[in-house]
Amino acid sequence: MSDTDDELVRVTINGKEIRAPGNLSTIQALWFAGYPRVKGVGCLEGVCGSCRILVRRKDSPEVAMALGCQTLIEDGMEVHFLVFPTPTHHAYQLDEIANSWEVQAQFHRIFPEAVHCRHCHGCDVSCPKGIEVEKGVELAGKGRFREASELFVACVMCDFCMTACPEHIAPNHLGLFARRVTAYFHIRPSNLISRLEELRRNEHPIRTD
Amino acid sequence: MAQGTPYAAALAAYRPQAQRPLAPQTLSGEALLKAFHPDYYAGSLAPLQVGPNQGEMCHRQLAQVLQADARIDEADLAGAPVLETGILVIGGGGAGCAAALAARQAGAKVTLATKLRLGDSNTVMAEGGIQASIAPADTPQQHYDDTMRAGRRLGDKRLVARMAMEAPEVIRWLIQQGMQFDLDQYGDILLRRAGGASAERVAYYRDYTGLEMMRVLRESVLNSNIQVLDYSPAVELLSNELGHCAGAVLSSLKDCSYIMVKAKSVILATGGIGRMHINGFPTSNHFGATGDGLVLAYRLGAKLVDLDSYQYHPSGLAYPQHLAGSLITEGVRSAGAYLLNARGERFIDELKPRDQVSSAILRECAEGRGVAAGEAQGIWLDTPGVELRQPGLLKERFPKLVDLGKKSDVNPLTTPLLIYPTLHYQNGGARIDEHGRSTAPGLYCVGEVSGGIHGKNRLMGNSLMDIICFGRRAGAHAAERCHLMSHKRVSLEHLSRVRRELALAELPLDIKGPMLFPECAKPEKDSDYDGLRRNRGPEG
Repeated sequence: MSDTDDELVRVTINGKEIRAPGNLSTIQALWFAGYPRVKGVGCLEGVCGSCRILVRRKDSPEVAMALGCQTLIEDGMEVHFLVFPTPTHHAYQLDEIANSWEVQAQFHRIFPEAVHCRHCHGCDVSCPKGIEVEKGVELAGKGRFREASELFVACVMCDFCMTACPEHIAPNHLGLFARRVTAYFHIRPSNLISRLEELRRNEHPIRTD
Repeated sequence: MAQGTPYAAALAAYRPQAQRPLAPQTLSGEALLKAFHPDYYAGSLAPLQVGPNQGEMCHRQLAQVLQADARIDEADLAGAPVLETGILVIGGGGAGCAAALAARQAGAKVTLATKLRLGDSNTVMAEGGIQASIAPADTPQQHYDDTMRAGRRLGDKRLVARMAMEAPEVIRWLIQQGMQFDLDQYGDILLRRAGGASAERVAYYRDYTGLEMMRVLRESVLNSNIQVLDYSPAVELLSNELGHCAGAVLSSLKDCSYIMVKAKSVILATGGIGRMHINGFPTSNHFGATGDGLVLAYRLGAKLVDLDSYQYHPSGLAYPQHLAGSLITEGVRSAGAYLLNARGERFIDELKPRDQVSSAILRECAEGRGVAAGEAQGIWLDTPGVELRQPGLLKERFPKLVDLGKKSDVNPLTTPLLIYPTLHYQNGGARIDEHGRSTAPGLYCVGEVSGGIHGKNRLMGNSLMDIICFGRRAGAHAAERCHLMSHKRVSLEHLSRVRRELALAELPLDIKGPMLFPECAKPEKDSDYDGLRRNRGPEG
């Protein structure tokens, strides 16, 4: 790799102009330029959701939301690292839900804002994973938790949709609720249960010699 | 410069093919490891000169931080706020969350401190799955035997037996936390086979197993009356008048201040050492995996084991450069993907234990049969072959792989991926008992920072199991004994002993530990950085 100046691209990160090779991510570019970014850096593989950035590309008025470790720098790009929003106010314990018939009622108690969705698409636009967030909110609101749960498979809990939502719905936490109740009430694998029963009857002592 | 066939030429010569026979292997097992595994690189080990493992061999890079001076002394704590808790958990990954949840469940007051955000960890990146013997044809005994065999019979029998027995219960607990697993049409848990295992035993959720686990555990912790201190790496442990662990000093990245947390017991769950880049290898590890817990535990007198043994995962992405080190799950090989050298030949049974597969890849590259891409080199992971045999499987089961393909501009359905071993796991760590207790009283160690379970080589899926199994056990045990513990005087007294030993051994006092952050991101390099306070340099 050659680092001569004319092969480096210029990018502005948090107001500072830096130069780095174009095949680097925004975070790698900062490190390359000698800025020891620590906050907002995590797995570097796009699954921890820590490196939330706003991006504006050259000659474009649009500001996109993205993950810093997954975004390669481009000439003239402007990047701003975001801090995390305050944690969601939605609190619940799965074992407070008496049984699966109660999930819908409990959902509306825990996420009362879900039915206020304005269909502004803010959550869809902000999602770096391309999740149909708004649809998930609507499905969960109708009690279709398993379907909603499937939409949030790739969610990394970056909280972008939470930041974007004018109604404070916290769609990612809602999606995770849908996923958790699905497991909590409906995953009952017979192969697992059989083994647990065998273990309870001490049928599997282990020889360690 | 890398040797081997240039990338473009090797790719042009590559033809997708459903079946490829494996030629008989001349070099295998122990001989293959001795010749090519990085643990055997000449000159990479050094004897430790101080501490509980004095005289034992340890990797040079780790020895340097284990024998480093502390970052702070008593004067730094003047005026520091003091927080009192029951159990202090250090580390916000899977092991830390499991420990915190179990301790809270048992009624203890729990504080969890994490270097970055809650959930920022290697757990969230784990893809392959979690081992539990739940297939009808499988048994806990087989799980035990496979784990011991893969670890070259060096694992701690009691720990391995405990894990194999409790594994099914751990899966049940995870489901009750709200974690999903991939199921068959009747709702049974689907299982795949780990390299080196005798049965299908790895439960999974797509190739997002760790992500699914972590987001569920994090949500559970945040809803559980557990105090979470984020952006607060531990820089030193606290000790009482007897030298027992009695808390920790945290360094807040938010306002550059120190906080003293006094606790009845401490559970260290700080993970591994990937970002130390042992032997100069790329790593699949999280940004925060800098071995902090080992350093803290060692200074307090905890005995460590297997410090010369690291796992290099066979399939780290080698190209393109900005994604180098990113992991491709072993599940892909488990699903039938071949490994091919630049000539398109298979050179190892792909489902051998990881240490052997990695050694074979290093051999191909060293002997000029690899593929060279700029400074990087590697061999092919033959994903198109899987697509030919089982169309649609990759897309359905490995969404993260397909996504990785998009980011690297390589379509894994039609083009093989260039891979090279990546530093993945620290096999050793702090010696623990069945409750996760280290040899230093009051200090528990769980997850990757602990040692003894995996011997000299870990099986796929045993790490996610080990962190939850022993995380829960440590949390419950520590909570149970909370009322028995009391500390009269809490200080950094143990550092006087450490410094005396370092001085007597004539070791340099200008190296400070723990590392906290990788070299590329040292906060002290940048004066206007609003993070950790500056290290004191050697000049004072």
